[in-house]
Amino acid sequence: MKKHLQLLAAYAVQFIKVRFAYRADFLISTGASVLATVFAFGFLLVLFQKVPQLAGWKFEEVLFLYGFSLIPFGLFNVVSLNLYNFGNDFIIEGKFDRVLLRPVASLHQVIFEVFRIESLHEVVVGLLAVWLASSRLRLAWGPLEFLLLAFFALCGGIIYVSIFLMLTCVSFWVEDRVGVHPPVWNLIAFGRYPLSIYSGFVQFLLSWIIPFGFATFYPSVRLLGRAEFRLYAWLVPVVAAAFFTLALALWNRGVRNYASTGS
Amino acid sequence: MPAAPLISVRDLSKHFRTFKRREGVWGAIRNLVKRDYQSVHAVDRVTFDIQPGEMVGYIGPNGAGKSTTIKMLTGILVPTAGELLSNGFVPWKQRRQYVKSIGVVFGQRTQLWWDIAVVESFKLLRKIYDVSQHDYDARMELFNHVLKLKDYLDTPVRKLSLGERMRCDLAAALLHNPPILFLDEPTIGLDVVAKDHIRQFLKEINQRYRTTVLLTTHDLDDIEELCKRIMIIDHGRLLYDGPLALLKQKLLRTKQVKFVVKDSEQAARLPALENDGLKIEPVDHLTYRIVFDRTKISVADLLRQILAEVEVRDLLIEDEPIEEIVKRIYAGEALKEVTA
Repeated sequence: MKKHLQLLAAYAVQFIKVRFAYRADFLISTGASVLATVFAFGFLLVLFQKVPQLAGWKFEEVLFLYGFSLIPFGLFNVVSLNLYNFGNDFIIEGKFDRVLLRPVASLHQVIFEVFRIESLHEVVVGLLAVWLASSRLRLAWGPLEFLLLAFFALCGGIIYVSIFLMLTCVSFWVEDRVGVHPPVWNLIAFGRYPLSIYSGFVQFLLSWIIPFGFATFYPSVRLLGRAEFRLYAWLVPVVAAAFFTLALALWNRGVRNYASTGS
Repeated sequence: MPAAPLISVRDLSKHFRTFKRREGVWGAIRNLVKRDYQSVHAVDRVTFDIQPGEMVGYIGPNGAGKSTTIKMLTGILVPTAGELLSNGFVPWKQRRQYVKSIGVVFGQRTQLWWDIAVVESFKLLRKIYDVSQHDYDARMELFNHVLKLKDYLDTPVRKLSLGERMRCDLAAALLHNPPILFLDEPTIGLDVVAKDHIRQFLKEINQRYRTTVLLTTHDLDDIEELCKRIMIIDHGRLLYDGPLALLKQKLLRTKQVKFVVKDSEQAARLPALENDGLKIEPVDHLTYRIVFDRTKISVADLLRQILAEVEVRDLLIEDEPIEEIVKRIYAGEALKEVTA
């Protein structure tokens, strides 16, 4: 464990060095992502000019939810790059052989090889939105709430990683350059609004099949102190652990399949 | 010979299931629906032992099963059947412990990180393999000395020439001083000077650390320079495993004598030497060549005949190039004599 953390740090330092070496590229891509995030909040403002409430949620509460959802999402984005490129770079181009030749867990090597550090801005913007919404709602923040926020954000990040890791594992069996991530990726946005506005089917989907709701909505309900779905917050770490275990098992099966087919 | 081999391979096989791709757009669509699978025996009941400190050349035509064997030996691939023990490990079962004791270089692709400076790659590898700073410094000094890495340590890998990259890859594979080194075509695409550097380095490592080396190659000069023992594989079967010298001795059918005659007057007398077994080919001005079957006529006899007839200024006797022998083996001739 200690070695893995040290390695993670070494990988990160290396990667950041490279990233800063291409300064223009870094600045442009950071600038573009910040703009995209800010525009999304603009949409919220416009929406609430027209409707005063969304399924009983005030503007500030939706702002909180939206802001909070960006925190695990940003953490996930920092490490997710290789999940999308895995089929092409690692399986088809054969980089996975190199991974198997090193005495470090294969998943560690794949996930922590590249870092999209500019995605940390989403964490920052998310925290700002949460802070803004909390102060307008006069929420009381004690040490427990701060701890919960950090804990939920981490669980949320793990949920995102687990879901997309499972999709990545498809590459172990199917030769596929594009990957099956895009349709699921498009569902992420659904988790940024109160689940109560959706039909039962969508609620079920986002809670138990592709559990983005446990990364964003249920934690926010708890932090906002709303009555609905209150107990679901306890399930957040359970869902995160369950899905991560599942994803890891699938990954290990994939590695075994790779080793027997060499494809 | 020591009792326990370092690498022990028994009846090792690897079968792949592949499907026939149909051609064209319509074929591609039919591929989606129905596939005709066939089983390919990439490696077929291969058996060998390798002792500590040996340098073994592993050759065979493209698709013969060399790389598949290496991938099983390095733990990347799980065999379909057979046994394999390397440095006390079953590679694919104890992969993460096992890979600490091997170094691997694939000539076709780098093991280094593309975008970062060479020295930074080495530093990462030092952490990955838990190499102490002291050992790291000592080994880097040796690598610098033999491989002349200093000039491009600060260059990102993607900017290196192929030869430079290969040297860095070799150093990277040996940073943790593994007892076993696997090289898959380490000299592919390199110029003569770069090839020589690599070979010298491998010799040095083998002598200094007693590193066991298994290398695949298409360049038989690699084998002649480095390996006493050679294994030949084709269609997944091991065709020959033994000393290079024995292969030559048993399979060398022809030798050639190249000689330079004194002047054109002497050259005019050459046709008198020719008979059905003996053809004289001109090579250059006043230089001639005779290729002869050494089972039919001895070198001594031939020389006597030549010297009796003409005045010779210079003379050279050569073996048939090893390429020719291997070509004959791939073509399916000539092996019964050795394997019997």
